[in-house]
Amino acid sequence: MNEILDIKYQKHILKNGLELVLYKDTSLPIVSVNLWYKVGSANEIEGKTGFSHLFEHMMFQGSKNVPKEMHFKYIEEAGGNLNGSTSIDRTNYYETVPSNSLELALWLESDRMGFLLDAMTQDKLDNQKDVVMNERRQRYDNQPYGLAWEIIFSNLFPTDHPYHWPTIGWMKDIEQFELEDVKHFFKTYYSPNNASLVVGGNINYDDALDLVKKYFEEIPSGNSIPQIKIPQLELKQSKKIVHRDNVQLSKLYLAWNTVELYNDDDSPLDILSDILTGSKNGRLFKSLVFEKQIAQDVSSFQYSGKLSGMFVIVATAKPGVNLDLIKSEILKVLNQIEHDGITVSELERSKNTVSSSFIYSLQNLNSLVNQINNYNTNIGEPNSFIYDLERVTSLEKAKVDSMINTYLKNSFVELHILPKEVAFGNE
Amino acid sequence: MNRSTAPDSTGKLNFQLPGIQQFTLNNGLNILFVEKNNLPIVNMSLIVNAGSRFDPKNKSGLAYLTSMLIDEGAGDFSALELDNEIESLGSIFGVSTDSDLIYLNMLSISDKFERSLELLSMVYTTPIFSIDDFDREKQKLLTSIIRNYDDPSYIASSNFRNLVFNNSPYANPIIGDSKSVESITNSEVIQFHKNAFTPDNSHLIVVGNISQSQLETLLNKYFSVSTNKRKEDSFLSLSKNEKSSFYFINKDGAAQSEIRIGHLTNNRNDPDYYAKIIMNSILGGQFSSRLNLNLREDKGFTYGISSGFYYNRHLGNFQISTSVQSENSGETINEIEKEINGIKQNISSEEIDFSKSYLIKRFPAMFETYSQISNNLSSLIHYSLDKKYFDNYIQNIESCTKHEIEIAAQQRIIADELIYLIVGDRDKVLPQLRSITNQNIIELDKFGQKVS
Repeated sequence: MNEILDIKYQKHILKNGLELVLYKDTSLPIVSVNLWYKVGSANEIEGKTGFSHLFEHMMFQGSKNVPKEMHFKYIEEAGGNLNGSTSIDRTNYYETVPSNSLELALWLESDRMGFLLDAMTQDKLDNQKDVVMNERRQRYDNQPYGLAWEIIFSNLFPTDHPYHWPTIGWMKDIEQFELEDVKHFFKTYYSPNNASLVVGGNINYDDALDLVKKYFEEIPSGNSIPQIKIPQLELKQSKKIVHRDNVQLSKLYLAWNTVELYNDDDSPLDILSDILTGSKNGRLFKSLVFEKQIAQDVSSFQYSGKLSGMFVIVATAKPGVNLDLIKSEILKVLNQIEHDGITVSELERSKNTVSSSFIYSLQNLNSLVNQINNYNTNIGEPNSFIYDLERVTSLEKAKVDSMINTYLKNSFVELHILPKEVAFGNE
Repeated sequence: MNRSTAPDSTGKLNFQLPGIQQFTLNNGLNILFVEKNNLPIVNMSLIVNAGSRFDPKNKSGLAYLTSMLIDEGAGDFSALELDNEIESLGSIFGVSTDSDLIYLNMLSISDKFERSLELLSMVYTTPIFSIDDFDREKQKLLTSIIRNYDDPSYIASSNFRNLVFNNSPYANPIIGDSKSVESITNSEVIQFHKNAFTPDNSHLIVVGNISQSQLETLLNKYFSVSTNKRKEDSFLSLSKNEKSSFYFINKDGAAQSEIRIGHLTNNRNDPDYYAKIIMNSILGGQFSSRLNLNLREDKGFTYGISSGFYYNRHLGNFQISTSVQSENSGETINEIEKEINGIKQNISSEEIDFSKSYLIKRFPAMFETYSQISNNLSSLIHYSLDKKYFDNYIQNIESCTKHEIEIAAQQRIIADELIYLIVGDRDKVLPQLRSITNQNIIELDKFGQKVS
């Protein structure tokens, strides 16, 4: 089965430093263009947060040769779809179009890489500032439990750590975006030498390479990219935060500092999360939701950033159940695993789940090409599906068992989100 | 290099629709099948004509609760054992329920297909419905209902649904309300399953890496289930929105207002479907639509606004949805009304060409993943569409005339029948609403009861 994960590709590095990966899949007449800029909220500084996410908006506002509103229109008229996303470490921009419109997509992407600032105006910034503030209201401020993640990040990572603030930025910073700062941020990070481009789908290698060169090669490379300073990370003692929200059910979040992406320990932590909460038989699900029925749901995951990571467990309490009870049950289950370990059949079940999910993930060209870009950007090798899968399938039970003692016995951040009105006599 | 003009598209696209095979098992179960071999995957979807519109009076949520319980143990397997069987195969099982249908989905790697199909058959025919599982899942559903009412977007959507589909089986929330779910018993679930989960009331859609002959052999082995007949599907009460009305629900301290505006419309398989979809993509069906360009890209009032025609099997509705900064609630509604008037008065040929191009050229990408193809096939069944629907789709879009599209705007969006619902902070929002409408503003609580 693994041969279909062994993808064929071509990789080129243009004279200006732009990395290019070409991947051919002719099953449908579509092509995905996927561009990663190695800039995320970790490249921002306290007081000026939210810039990389702001660009996810400004990059659609037109560039020198593309009038405002036309970026979307060109792609929609061609029958394509497009978007972008921002994480703590990178921003990506992508479009999937019928394969005979590849050149259009490359023209649009290259115009905003090379010539965005020629068309940047105060009006556009003011308009998108409003849109971003509304995005923040809609997705975080007006959303039940919507502030949980920024509370966790800002408590788990100290003030001088680049993961301290939310990717969308603090509202007070968004309100104060200045045109000059925005331009400066673009000049610093959005150069070809800080980007990785994957073109995948129904292509011919030579033609695609020629087209990419035609549109991107003349864009000059930028200055070297400022290094991110990473302070020593250690949560000296556990913290408990209580936050009141417009909700009726209490919710508990436990978060530990762990490891960065592709560290030897991030795949055992992934597997541990699957064994805890990945199915009805997950240890925590079975105990809290199925048997004791004190929680409505429970989930856990290892979040791996480029610089650092965290392991998180989240549980929503049933009406009237105290979060301290939920917490003690969670810790009891973790202790049990620490003492008795996981079972071989649990490990096998998780490995099977992950193996299948790798095959399923090949179905959608856009997400496949994005994963190729992830591997190219973070590992330097686009064809890393098998490597990545084997990090899981080769795991031994003892390694997974050791994760509790190595990480989950350390100090942690504990967040309680409680109803504003004490509806169920809870806490 | 000259960058000043957009490059043209090059060459013709070569796209062939997947061939759809249909056959029926001896017990009456209809099969739709597409062989697709680019990956070793098979997607199965059993769709049962048993959505929430079949909930008996005062038992809203029964179909949904039945769907929650359907995989809590089957055959000789308890809930946890069954889950372990499926997970160990690396297969993914999921259930979803809408107003008309319950969907049982199983995605598997092709060499685990046979066992996955066998387990799907067990789930469909011999669910256990034990009282312990029932009590647990019912409590879970009741808690979900409580939690949903924390979400302003859910409050807006579920109440809007209730106002628009008033007096029809589509009015009730799919997941039910606290009172109705509280009253549901396990024997009602068992009876609901017995009545509805019958071969003549179900379709099985299979898309994947398997030949038709292999599939038929395996279906005869695992799906030769009994031939209970479903009771006749009757759909009696059709409602009509007679006059425009204006509703408000208070959400103290809300940072934004949720806005829903719309009314009932005709059916999915009516002939003006294509005219409506083109017209709507100009009004609010895509990013570059009039509504979004005005309220997001020009005014900055919202992160996004959209409009659409949404269909059930028997009744559809037209709806505009957005979430806007509280301070701009009134002005947003003015702008929406302006756009509604605008689309009724003037649609340009350029806009029509743009929309047709969008709808036609994106067509191949709608057949990319195994589950996308499966969903397309289920829409054929859901709305009783012509077998040649997909073959004729592009032609039907192309041949739509400007006149037909203008008629769709004039006839299918009716200003006098629009129902308005705004969920937001009373102190900030209500005065704005009073200044933009002469209509009586009816205030509801979050459960839809009138506040005096």
